[in-house]
Amino acid sequence: MMAKKPLRLNTILAVASCKCVRSILRHTGKGGGTALPGKVAMKFQKDVLETVSDGVDCIVVTGTNGKTTTANILESALTESGRNVLANKSGANLLSGITAEFCCAADWLGRPKKKVAVIECDEGALKQVAPRIHPRVIVVTNLFRDQLDRYGEVMNTLAQIRSGVEKAPQATLVLNAEDSLVSSLALDVPNRVVYFGLNTPVGDQKPREISDALHCIRCGTEYQYRYYTYAHLGDFVCPKCGYHRAKPDFAVQSIDRMEADGSRVTMKFGGETRPVAIGLPAVYNIYNAAAAIAAYVTFGGEPSEIIRSLKGVHSSFGRMEKFELPRKIMTRAESGNPAAAADATAAGMNAVVPVRMILVKNPAGCSQTIAYLCGLAEDFQLVICLNDRTADGHDISWIWDADYEKLAACSHLREIWVSGDRAEELRLRLKYAGVKTNRIHLEKDNAKLLAMMQESSLPVFVMPNYTSMLALRKVLSDATGKKAFWEKQ
Amino acid sequence: MELNICHLYPEVLNLYGDRGNIRCLEQRLAWRGIDCHVTMLKIGDQADLTKFDLFFVGGGQDFEQEVLLADLGSGKGGEIRAAIEDGKTFLAICGGYQMLGHYYETHEGVKCEYLGAVDFYTKGADVRMIDNYCFTLGQESGGSVVVGFENHSGKTWLGPDVQPLGRIIRGNGNNGEDGTEGCRYRNVFGTYSHGPVLPKNPQFADELLRTALIRKYGKADLAPLDDTVELSAHDAVYRRLMNRFEADERD
Repeated sequence: MMAKKPLRLNTILAVASCKCVRSILRHTGKGGGTALPGKVAMKFQKDVLETVSDGVDCIVVTGTNGKTTTANILESALTESGRNVLANKSGANLLSGITAEFCCAADWLGRPKKKVAVIECDEGALKQVAPRIHPRVIVVTNLFRDQLDRYGEVMNTLAQIRSGVEKAPQATLVLNAEDSLVSSLALDVPNRVVYFGLNTPVGDQKPREISDALHCIRCGTEYQYRYYTYAHLGDFVCPKCGYHRAKPDFAVQSIDRMEADGSRVTMKFGGETRPVAIGLPAVYNIYNAAAAIAAYVTFGGEPSEIIRSLKGVHSSFGRMEKFELPRKIMTRAESGNPAAAADATAAGMNAVVPVRMILVKNPAGCSQTIAYLCGLAEDFQLVICLNDRTADGHDISWIWDADYEKLAACSHLREIWVSGDRAEELRLRLKYAGVKTNRIHLEKDNAKLLAMMQESSLPVFVMPNYTSMLALRKVLSDATGKKAFWEKQ
Repeated sequence: MELNICHLYPEVLNLYGDRGNIRCLEQRLAWRGIDCHVTMLKIGDQADLTKFDLFFVGGGQDFEQEVLLADLGSGKGGEIRAAIEDGKTFLAICGGYQMLGHYYETHEGVKCEYLGAVDFYTKGADVRMIDNYCFTLGQESGGSVVVGFENHSGKTWLGPDVQPLGRIIRGNGNNGEDGTEGCRYRNVFGTYSHGPVLPKNPQFADELLRTALIRKYGKADLAPLDDTVELSAHDAVYRRLMNRFEADERD
């Protein structure tokens, strides 16, 4: 018989304070209360996370891009197959936010009420989180340069992940086979490793002008590629020391269809070939789906459960998230352009403007999003927002490494609005990309941006970075009656 | 008229949007109808450096900087020193700037020998200097105000015969102590302003082009351009820096 754990007063205080602070923050409309409640809890018991996650079976998702989407797919699949899942779906993925999530999901004595958790974890926070929640599976999606001023460099980020993995020797690693940085984790740790990847080239196969991993991480020689998928991902091999892409255990054999709303692929794993429909578009979501399937099956789930969920998977918090904005048609008097207003009415347009928000935080993600936009079959308007606050990274230099040049040649793109703290820099970037400056409008007021979208006769795509996404998402949610993430259920 | 630009080690020294600087130089020449050829010179590539007028060296990751030190040692280092003494124009940023000095000594005391082309050295410190910053270029470099972003833990100390590129208005620059930023030695412009410093500092960009053109042709005719978009990006950062620090001082 297991010894009964002693009741600790500081645990009770930590959990109670955490729940109270979050509740107060949400009721007073001060936002999601994602980090502060956890900080308060840790004041009462530094290691409260260890207590409130005791016995919870956890999957952790980390990496530069795709954390939230991959975790979201996993959470949906687990929930839809009848499990009661704890997840930090707000995107608060540091120690404090994760602590808050577990505290609030525990009873007043600090005993977890849920048995399964899917936790998205910041790369730098993994070394604090992993030793406290003892995950059974750790997924590393990919590694790109991101928010350099917080972490220094990609190699530094990799070292941080490695030190997190070293503190969780029991965890099975689910690694991206095509990412030479990510898969190098397997070289240094004793953990069991499972790989996911694409057995097929994607996009143009030109050698990369900008790459985060050009040289072999083991010996420094330039990699050779049999094919690329995107950014530095691909079938790489070091001609000198032989370090090469591992054969993925969960492999996308072919991409059968790619459309604006999703993709169909054929996957091979466990000796079987299966068709998989993914309800989210673009190549990077194919990777997210493959990562999620690999993690789910490794965790002990039935493949059919996650494949069923992937088909209907909804976009998560700002990631390819859809808003249906009630359209306002300007009267002739209101409109600066009477002809346009008349056209809109005459055309008998839909009552809603479809707005789609695609969070973009680094050059790899940005270039992939632009590639997706350029593949669209109908005309659209584009809003790009760039803030440079702490959660975004103060350094915005990366916009010069993203492929905005493609936008200049994108035939269905009509006009571009730039917004956010660094809107002027974005406008300059677009000028250099070859976009005519008279097609670029600078608008830092979110209310005015909303008005523009409400009056748009075309679908609108919004490409914000993190904090600008939070702000504009709130404006769009208010206008569409969409609930905040903590009210979702 | 034409300029031949050499982008040194673009495959490793490209960490922070550095290609924005090359795009800027190319574009500001193209807008004026001046020809420009950019050559990428990678590790192991051989080329006659005397045919280039303007060199660009960016910043890189520590891991990758080790890879290129071997290449410098194989003879390219000597050619670079010769080009500098020959008055060729260099824009060297962050890691690329440090590389032109005598050495880099890490915080733990490990010394890494660099080119020694310009009389300065760099010592690692325990705090990274990271933020937007601004400085005034010396008169010999045009005297305009440059806004940029610095991200370095190395502190650079200039020798007696090397001028700083400018004087710090807000931020740290070379070492956060003596108010200097970057170096100006012959036609070498070294700076910690990493990434795409040139697009939003058009006067600085033109100063580099003018220096290279004068070295080659004895004169430079740079027609004025419409820099409205450029200067609005410049002014937005400058305003914020000045306001923020005023607010800090009031607190």
